[in-house]
Amino acid sequence: MDPGPNPTPDDKGLAALSLRAPAALPPDFAAVPEIEDEEEEEDDDEGYFTAASRGGSSSTAAWKEEMEGLEEEEEEEDGPPSPSSSGYAGERGSSLASSAAGGAGIEEPDHHDVDAPQPHGPGAEDWARDKKHADEDDASASWRKRKKHFFILSNSGKPIYSRYGDEHKLAGFSATLQAIVSFVENSADHIKFVRAGKHQIVFLVKGPIYLVCISCTEESYEGLRGQLELMYGQMLLILTKSVNRCFEKNPKFDMAPLLGGTDAVFLSLIRAFSWNPATFLHAYTCLPLAQATRRAASAVLQDIADSGVLFALLMCEHKVISLVGAQKATLHPDDILLLANFILSSESFRTSESFSPICLPRYNPMAFLYAYVHFFDENTYLTLLTTRPDAFYDLKDSRARIQDVLLKANVLLEVQRSLHENALRVEDVPVELSSQSTSLPAQSSQGNSQSLSSEMAIGGPAGLWHFIYKSIYLDQYVSSEFASPIRNPKQQKRLYKAYQKFYASMHDKASGPHRTQFRRDEDYVLFCWITQDFELYAAFNPLADKTQAIKICNRVCQWIRDLENEIFVYGESTLAWQYHHCWGDI
Amino acid sequence: MGLSSTDGAQLCVFDLRRGQQEGQELDKILFFHPTDCPILLQLSVIGLCEGIITFTRIFSPEDDCEVIESDRHSHVFYQAETDIWMVLVVEKTKDSESTLRCAALQGILKESHSLFTMFHGPIRSLLDRKPSAELARGHLHTFITDYLSDFTVGKKLQLPTYRDSLKERGTVQMLTVSREVALEVQSLATVLGSCLGNVACQSIVLFEDLLVSTTLSPDDTLNLYTYAILRLTPRALSNANSWSYLRKGVYVNAGSTSSSSNGAATAERPLQREKLSKGKDGFVAAEFATTEVRGAVPLTPILWFQQAEERMYLCVYQHKSLTILLLIPASSLINGEEGIAHVKRHLLENASENIVMVEQKLARGWGGENAYHVGGYRYLLVDPDRKISRASPPGKVTTLSKDSLLALNRLREEMDLEKSRAKRSDPTRDKDFEVCIRAKNNAWVIAKITRGRELYMALEKGGETLLYASTAVEKFSNRYCEGAFSTD
Repeated sequence: MDPGPNPTPDDKGLAALSLRAPAALPPDFAAVPEIEDEEEEEDDDEGYFTAASRGGSSSTAAWKEEMEGLEEEEEEEDGPPSPSSSGYAGERGSSLASSAAGGAGIEEPDHHDVDAPQPHGPGAEDWARDKKHADEDDASASWRKRKKHFFILSNSGKPIYSRYGDEHKLAGFSATLQAIVSFVENSADHIKFVRAGKHQIVFLVKGPIYLVCISCTEESYEGLRGQLELMYGQMLLILTKSVNRCFEKNPKFDMAPLLGGTDAVFLSLIRAFSWNPATFLHAYTCLPLAQATRRAASAVLQDIADSGVLFALLMCEHKVISLVGAQKATLHPDDILLLANFILSSESFRTSESFSPICLPRYNPMAFLYAYVHFFDENTYLTLLTTRPDAFYDLKDSRARIQDVLLKANVLLEVQRSLHENALRVEDVPVELSSQSTSLPAQSSQGNSQSLSSEMAIGGPAGLWHFIYKSIYLDQYVSSEFASPIRNPKQQKRLYKAYQKFYASMHDKASGPHRTQFRRDEDYVLFCWITQDFELYAAFNPLADKTQAIKICNRVCQWIRDLENEIFVYGESTLAWQYHHCWGDI
Repeated sequence: MGLSSTDGAQLCVFDLRRGQQEGQELDKILFFHPTDCPILLQLSVIGLCEGIITFTRIFSPEDDCEVIESDRHSHVFYQAETDIWMVLVVEKTKDSESTLRCAALQGILKESHSLFTMFHGPIRSLLDRKPSAELARGHLHTFITDYLSDFTVGKKLQLPTYRDSLKERGTVQMLTVSREVALEVQSLATVLGSCLGNVACQSIVLFEDLLVSTTLSPDDTLNLYTYAILRLTPRALSNANSWSYLRKGVYVNAGSTSSSSNGAATAERPLQREKLSKGKDGFVAAEFATTEVRGAVPLTPILWFQQAEERMYLCVYQHKSLTILLLIPASSLINGEEGIAHVKRHLLENASENIVMVEQKLARGWGGENAYHVGGYRYLLVDPDRKISRASPPGKVTTLSKDSLLALNRLREEMDLEKSRAKRSDPTRDKDFEVCIRAKNNAWVIAKITRGRELYMALEKGGETLLYASTAVEKFSNRYCEGAFSTD
């Protein structure tokens, strides 16, 4: 991991920007109608502050006061790093990369113009390693007001990680958390959560490691617990579960230094909780590609896998281009998520080819694998995983061979093109079954945009705003672009939260999974349909007509089936479901 | 979080202003059920609760801690008065049988506290009156023990679970009457109001376990209605099964757990069932050998009215299935017993005719226990503003499968959260919701909130499609709810 560089002049610019009074914000802000109701929704109160506090890293009390005064307004404008769908979000691609690197919303100056391409400025390379709001602790009002805290601590109360504030200053707070958990553990019980108004405190105990989330984002318990599981998985990815042995030897073991320098990884994961549906769907998404192109990529990866590589993954940002496992080895979607997050949030991987020990918690939480990572361009990268610590040069050779093939077969170019063009747009959902499109919408979107009810012309037919389709058998999902009524990142984030809750409701442990759910509130009509083969989640205009919405959901499913060869990866990886379904606790 | 509790449930009341010195923690505890619970365990439960209350205030200074959920227990919180907390601890069993709904349990705490306040006034004022807490502890002990006796089955407390998801505690169930009968009832209420001559009396009239009329505010009506269903209606007096959510199982004498059964304390036990009975004159009275005012229930001036902040005597008259609760302002009754006797006489002389007439008409139109059953539907309708509910008869609800009830319980829990969220974001505006779920057993479970009114429903024989379910709701709404939940 790179050590944190000093703030750059650009950052200082950001600091200035973020301190503008709300009245001085660009007019776009005022034009967004939801903003006033929104403050409850926001949890990613990173963006401006981080940018700002990094800009003026010697933050003063005056600073803090101003920050507090501005907090609500500022937060409202903050958006997920990639607000687009599962994406096809070419236009946000570069900013995603930069945010992953920055870990904390350094890219946000373009927030009010999400569609604008974001060139890599010096700020983007400069990734946040210096602690976020390190001057805060549990005595600071600003710290208490943060909307979503994450803590990792040991069962002796030693802080390991905190999203906000300096871990060392939070030792007392950490001890309190430990006392609560242990008190309950001592009576042979396990605390799950505490609720007070809109605040929820969720606990997860993993052997000697305690994870706690304190949030007022009104997410469901199941959702927050799933996020803690991923935090734990991310920690294992860096350290493996054998770290438990250190605690067996010395209960007072201080684990924080082992995670030194990985703040950006956790921050990027925490951001993913509000924009990446993979975090709650437990499925991965693919970059749409013509079948032949993907086949070319898969073939060469398969060759390599046959020669001693455990997994070979070609990815573009968070999307899989191709994925191959040796023999019966299969990758769990959560492992893909955590691995991609690790790679994308660590700038060092981008600058040179790397060989780094990592653990895939769902594959084998006890052991390290070795990951050879190489970026072909700013967002497409190859990861080769092996069990051999001495395989660097072999893998380097393999990579060269793969690169050769990819270049010859124009795969990398196609990938770039797909990033910019191959979006699934709700406007393209075929209205008449006879006009089914069987190729990617980018090539065939003309003539399809007529909608069922013209009065809901904004968005897709029948007021469709967005959908996510998950293939249960493939462990893959695909999601549409956002329709214009939910163009701004804040609205998108809110929709994701609604989806998360909806998902938890459909998959309730005691009574679920349900078959269908229709839900109407002031913000959306949400529709979910679960069969043996797929799960469909769709969001409509809140005034959408039920009958029409159902029709459109059927159309969407049919449309996806027509496109499945291009939007899903088939092949060896489809075995993944076996592994997925026998998975227990880490 | 029990070391181990045999009872399955604990209920405690504690005051965070007391016992702040180390070693004096016991002083916090005002009530603990079961009473024979070891002191160390009591302290441990309260220690955890206090710790969590303090902890959550770091982040949420305005909102109270509501629940601690762990693998084996649920701790449900209710801050009854400033710094006075009530916590119900429920042990979970391994199967889903103990699946519960937090708000339903909170309802029990709220209900017991408002009944307590009605008879004894706020806990804080009892503490102020006797800082040693002797008075508060004594009253809480007898009162809550008597209250819990309604939940006691065998030696265990049987608290609401997912099987009760079509019930709503803290609401009144009304009898629907025709216009003609309504006029009769109206004139009865007028006669009742004039029982004291120049000072108006308030009254509540019940038929069976349903409310017919009230002249009180919704809060006070609810409290008195609850009390009547628990102890005063013919069914309560004869200890017969009730279809009301308020009475469960078979009543077990709670006397054995009571330590203070001396006369003075007994006289102040309005929930002590065995002392209440209907006299030959039609008035319900408590048989206490005290020198207090006789003939009113209970004997000491009672009913601390939240709205009017006035103390009242309660006079209960019964004719067949009709129960009349007459409230006499304590201030207007100078000569106690004699005054009560006067009011009674006045009632018998002037209102008898109306009473008989109203009872006859109501009995003629009465459809029995299943009067509000709607074939094919299992439903609960709630109007939280007016504190009114109507539901499918419990006997019908039990025909629902476990899966449907579990799904409904979960849906209600989600709606509880949505409601409190909406309330926090804008308390002045009602937020509408509509949820239709087809559960894994193919039943439809439905929740709809429209303009503040709530409808919950399970349809097991619903058709395949969402549209079928929606049509069913629409029909129900048009037919039984004056279109309150209809789309147009």
